[in-house]
Amino acid sequence: MSFDSSRSGGNTNSNSKSKRSLDSSSSNPPGNGNNSNKKKKTTNQKTLGVAWGSNSRSSSRSSFRNSPFSDFGSYMVVKNQKLQDQFDVEASSTSHSGSGSVKPIFSGVSIFVDGYTIPSSQELRNYMLMYGGHFKNYFSRHSVTHIICSNLPNSKIKNLRSFSGGLPVVKPTWVLDSVAANKLLSWVPYQLDQVASENCNQAKLSAFFTLKNSPVTAACISDEAVAENEDSLLKGGTSMDANLCDERESTEHRKQYNGEPANLLHDISTGAELEEPSCSNRLHFEARNAEPSDVAKVDRTLVGNQPDPSQSRPSASVSSHCLDNQSSKESSSSTMYGPSNQRHSTLVDPNFVENYFRNSRLHFIGTWRNRYRKRFPSLSNEFKYTSSNPNDSAQETAIIHVDMDCFFVSVVIRDCPELRDKPVAVCHSDNPRGTAEISSANYPARDHGVKAGIFVRDAKALCPHLVIFPYDFEAYEEVADQLYNILHKHCKKVQAVSCDEAFLDVTESEAGDAELLASIIRKEIFETTRCTASAGIAGNMLMARLATRTAKPDGQCYIPSEKVDDYLHKLPIKALPGIGHVLEEKLKRREVKTCGQLRMISKVPFYVAFFISSPLATFSRVEELEKKLLIPPRRQAFMESLQKDFGSKTGDMLWNYSRGIDNRLVGFIQESKSIGAEVNWGVRFKDMKDSQFFLMNLCKEVALRLQGCGVHGRTFTLKVKKRRNDAGEPIKYMGCGDCENLSHSITVPMATDDANVLQRISTQLFGLFHIDVVDIRGMGLQVSKLESADNAKQGHERNSIRSWLVSASASTSEQCKAKESANTDPKRHSIDGFLDQLGTNFCVGATSASGEAFINQNPTLPPLHDLDMGVIQSLPPELFSEINDMYGGSLTSFISEKRGRNASNEGKRSLLSHRSPSTNFTANNKVYNWSCTVHHSVNHALMILWGSWQGKQYADAEVQMPPGSGAGTSGAIISCSVPENNDLMPSSLSQVDVSVLQQLPEEMKTGILGLLPAHRRPVCGSVASSDLQIAVSATSTGNQPGSRDSVSGNELWVGNPPGWVDKFKVSNCQLLRTLAETYFLSGSTGLLSSVLQRTLSDNGLPSGANTDGWDDAIYCLCELFMQYIKRKVETDIEEIYVCFRFLKRYTSNAKCENYVGRVLLLLDLSCMTCFLKGANHTLLGRFDSLGALVLDFVKSEHSTEVSN
Amino acid sequence: MDRKDNQSPQGAFERRRYTNIVVQKARHPQLKEYIHDAVNGLLPFIQKGLVERVAVLFFDSESIPVERFIFKLTLNQSYGTKVDDADLEFALRSFLIKLSVSEPLTKVLPRDCRWEITAYFRSLPQASTSKDAELWIPTDTMQWQQPPLITPIKSMSSEPLGVQLYLEHPSLSEPKA
Repeated sequence: MSFDSSRSGGNTNSNSKSKRSLDSSSSNPPGNGNNSNKKKKTTNQKTLGVAWGSNSRSSSRSSFRNSPFSDFGSYMVVKNQKLQDQFDVEASSTSHSGSGSVKPIFSGVSIFVDGYTIPSSQELRNYMLMYGGHFKNYFSRHSVTHIICSNLPNSKIKNLRSFSGGLPVVKPTWVLDSVAANKLLSWVPYQLDQVASENCNQAKLSAFFTLKNSPVTAACISDEAVAENEDSLLKGGTSMDANLCDERESTEHRKQYNGEPANLLHDISTGAELEEPSCSNRLHFEARNAEPSDVAKVDRTLVGNQPDPSQSRPSASVSSHCLDNQSSKESSSSTMYGPSNQRHSTLVDPNFVENYFRNSRLHFIGTWRNRYRKRFPSLSNEFKYTSSNPNDSAQETAIIHVDMDCFFVSVVIRDCPELRDKPVAVCHSDNPRGTAEISSANYPARDHGVKAGIFVRDAKALCPHLVIFPYDFEAYEEVADQLYNILHKHCKKVQAVSCDEAFLDVTESEAGDAELLASIIRKEIFETTRCTASAGIAGNMLMARLATRTAKPDGQCYIPSEKVDDYLHKLPIKALPGIGHVLEEKLKRREVKTCGQLRMISKVPFYVAFFISSPLATFSRVEELEKKLLIPPRRQAFMESLQKDFGSKTGDMLWNYSRGIDNRLVGFIQESKSIGAEVNWGVRFKDMKDSQFFLMNLCKEVALRLQGCGVHGRTFTLKVKKRRNDAGEPIKYMGCGDCENLSHSITVPMATDDANVLQRISTQLFGLFHIDVVDIRGMGLQVSKLESADNAKQGHERNSIRSWLVSASASTSEQCKAKESANTDPKRHSIDGFLDQLGTNFCVGATSASGEAFINQNPTLPPLHDLDMGVIQSLPPELFSEINDMYGGSLTSFISEKRGRNASNEGKRSLLSHRSPSTNFTANNKVYNWSCTVHHSVNHALMILWGSWQGKQYADAEVQMPPGSGAGTSGAIISCSVPENNDLMPSSLSQVDVSVLQQLPEEMKTGILGLLPAHRRPVCGSVASSDLQIAVSATSTGNQPGSRDSVSGNELWVGNPPGWVDKFKVSNCQLLRTLAETYFLSGSTGLLSSVLQRTLSDNGLPSGANTDGWDDAIYCLCELFMQYIKRKVETDIEEIYVCFRFLKRYTSNAKCENYVGRVLLLLDLSCMTCFLKGANHTLLGRFDSLGALVLDFVKSEHSTEVSN
Repeated sequence: MDRKDNQSPQGAFERRRYTNIVVQKARHPQLKEYIHDAVNGLLPFIQKGLVERVAVLFFDSESIPVERFIFKLTLNQSYGTKVDDADLEFALRSFLIKLSVSEPLTKVLPRDCRWEITAYFRSLPQASTSKDAELWIPTDTMQWQQPPLITPIKSMSSEPLGVQLYLEHPSLSEPKA
């Protein structure tokens, strides 16, 4: 008791947490004996190293019953405190005893050593003792500043955040080098390689926050944090450079916490990925559901095949884990550095949407127009009327385009003339290594290659002395207002394009010369705003704008109408307004780079008559047909036309612009067709509630905008950016990264601008997406079909919308029901019972394999079933493969299915009349051909199908057949699915059905062997002939002893790959083949345990429905295991043990219902017992007898089966 | 080859570091001497490859073994002196880590149990081959009548030296004494 109180009393700077738990522990009065017990424990712990931390935990748990600690936590608090005290005492003694010259370089550093390091943790501890640092035996993210380790297991790398709590993970050399340099070095270069390479963007992320130390945004750091930081520094009393270093680092750590949510989400996103396929499948299903009923069968199997999206959601544990982490992180951040005003994501900032738009430049530009209109309402209205008849005037029109030079920069630096010639850029963040995008750069900066849109870190790399300013939206508004005041003063026809750009129609201007007027305006602008503007003067808006391009910076340019052609001829198409990346690329592909070249292309297409046969008729897109029909390029040139290729509007636009024609009128203010808001930065949700909250704010924003424009809208489109399955954390901090853009829209009869209604609608829309909220990286709500608010007021909006919403949801549910009933419809297109089942089974395999591909399928493609197979099959191979690609490879599978049906039909027939060997032969031959031509990915599924089907047939046939007479039935098709192979010939001999091969005439056999592609030969090379021999002999005898000899006579584990792999590959038992295939998949380690592990984790060992060949298989397996045991028992019992563990797991999975399970179980158990019993010398003997044991069992089983 | 012994009097072993791994070291001088002598005495035989297994046996008052830690050695004689210390140390470390966490596999030993280090030779050493051989005494410890149950703990094979450590317990059918 006295122990406790003295501890808490003597330790003033212990944190509140430890005090609290001390109190709780002291409320539990300890007895005398307990006290000694505790002391013993702690003395015992004194010598515990880090490595023993976990061990001591379990061992000490039992002693809680009679210890003064209420729980482990309170015990650990006391223990940590004790360790700390001991350390302090030791530290003071070493520093006293040591020479006074030792500099406390590690002041403020507190390391935790994880795992084995060189030098050892003890030595590191000594360094810490000597140089004023701290050494923590137990990790705590509150007290530890650096984690020292030289190696991390994979799991920790993957989950670095939860392991390190965001603290730097540093190599031990950091400590050594720091000691050697006698100052604290930056840990950054010493970051653990694994971590540095794995999370390179994490490092940058942390660096992103260092900007908060810089003078510009110093205010961003909360006072508390600064105080704390300084406090720790003062305490250390270190030299100046160490100070700087330390400050920088601690800020980095601290700020890293802010980045936490993003990574968190990333961590748990693996769970979410599970959901993706089912969702997409579902989409596919819905798309296909509209098809006539003969597709229903496929759909039904699909539906049955996939779990309900809601079921496949990441489990509660995952999300709760996330929550826990989240809350702990948040709490840690708050305890460590007080309130932070840098809240970057939807997760931490309740006013995220508001702040987002407050800080968005695009938002500023977007909403500026409203402001402008409110400011100059009369002007723009009046002007509308006067400009109604521009063509009346015979005078040549004169348009001036005024554009401020790098507006966003020059406004900010307008009061700092000294910066005028220095490279300056505007960006919301000036962290030199950050991923914020430059929004605008001045001309000196552009000379360095800095341009809008690149990341700050790239800009800094290009131009190290680049000065970066944050936005100053107020100044922008002020300057923009000044600008427009001037423009309106000089001209009545002003069309504002943006806050810094406008067109003036000076045709009727009394000032006369447009060029003169332009220079006057520019001068005045400069005098008023201290910012420069450029002007372009020409006959129309297009040319004026292009002229400005030439005029910039701070100049003006006049393009008279006679020079337009020359000007345009060499102009790159990119310069034309309305030509973006996509269009530019398209044109580039046609070798069009300048407007002159663009002019060569005609406007309207020639009429080309296509001979379109029925199956191809659905490929309505001309381009596709061109490709398909291999129309020669010469003809293609004739067909080329702008309207055809780019649509009538874009085509028109290109045609006009390339000729300098622009009929737009200045002042024609395009009414905005839609109003909306979109956020694609910093959007991270952890649950549905977050997303709903976000949606609510988004709706509020949109409603405000609608109200601001005075319009109501009827069509609502909700756009969602969904992280792609394979996309990692985006390069841009908190950016959206690689996303799929999804959208749903809805039109309501009554226009609205009410936030509540918007919210209800958007919630409904959001529900349609069926996506996990953690994958959402951006959201936008767009309102279109706008009508002016006055019109909308007339209706009785609220009620009608509400009733509409209700009815809509009702109809949706009805639809769902209808869908369901359609699914439960009985099979329509059954050929006969068996074949239908066959088909269905097949569909499951095939569609699940190519399910992904279906999603991307062009909706205009006709359903597979509607294709005329006769036509498709007679297509040339190239054409066929292209069509197949469009169908995501499912066409081949479909065809092969059809062929499979035929083949199996024939096979069935032939089997029923199996007595005639010739028929039998042809059937097998057919099957062989078929197996050769099927697409490979499907091959495997078909093989299984075929196998099971044959199994059934075998059961039937056995009744009619005297055993041993039907050699033909013993041959199951041997497959070895080697991916990336879709040749018409099987990739190796192992794929060839040996039984078929065997029955072929000699010359054909050699022919087929010769047909095997030459480059594949070495692969199957040396083993091929012997394999063939063995396999042939196995099938020809059709008798078990023969094949057994062939197995047992060999050393199964000799060679690389071991002999059994090749042997099993050609086995007719699925189990063995799976094992052999898995050998390569599992990395060819030569270890049986890895093979078994892989097999189990993939899908479990297949349990054959077919008992044929199992005796052999079991025998082979026993042999395999025995030889393996013999091989390993001398060197690696552990490995054998692991193998048996895996076997055990399999047999427990397999429920032991079937034959295989029982046999394996026996094998396993007998091996196990023998193994465990074995004294080393007796061990081998026991294993030898095992084979006989299993054989006996197999025989007895077999005989019972036969007699039954 | 020392091991934390839960039955030993408190403090008979202390925790020490060896190649940066926590190991238990005997504190009592005589105990230390015994272990040291046994291991050192075995060394020449191990080097010659004569020793097949080294066992640490725990047996009860009637000399019936309760638990046996078997170190099965395979030594590649051809290596001679060109052994990579770092490799060996690495393998050895992984081995020792396993050893130190093998406690849950062990059984609670009865009171008054004793232990000894026993070496199993491939053949009985002849007095002629080594003078030291005379120093060795045949063990009194009884053998189990049934083959034991084996629990593998760790197998290592660093090229010159392969060691397998497994734990032997009497099989369940072992007649109780």
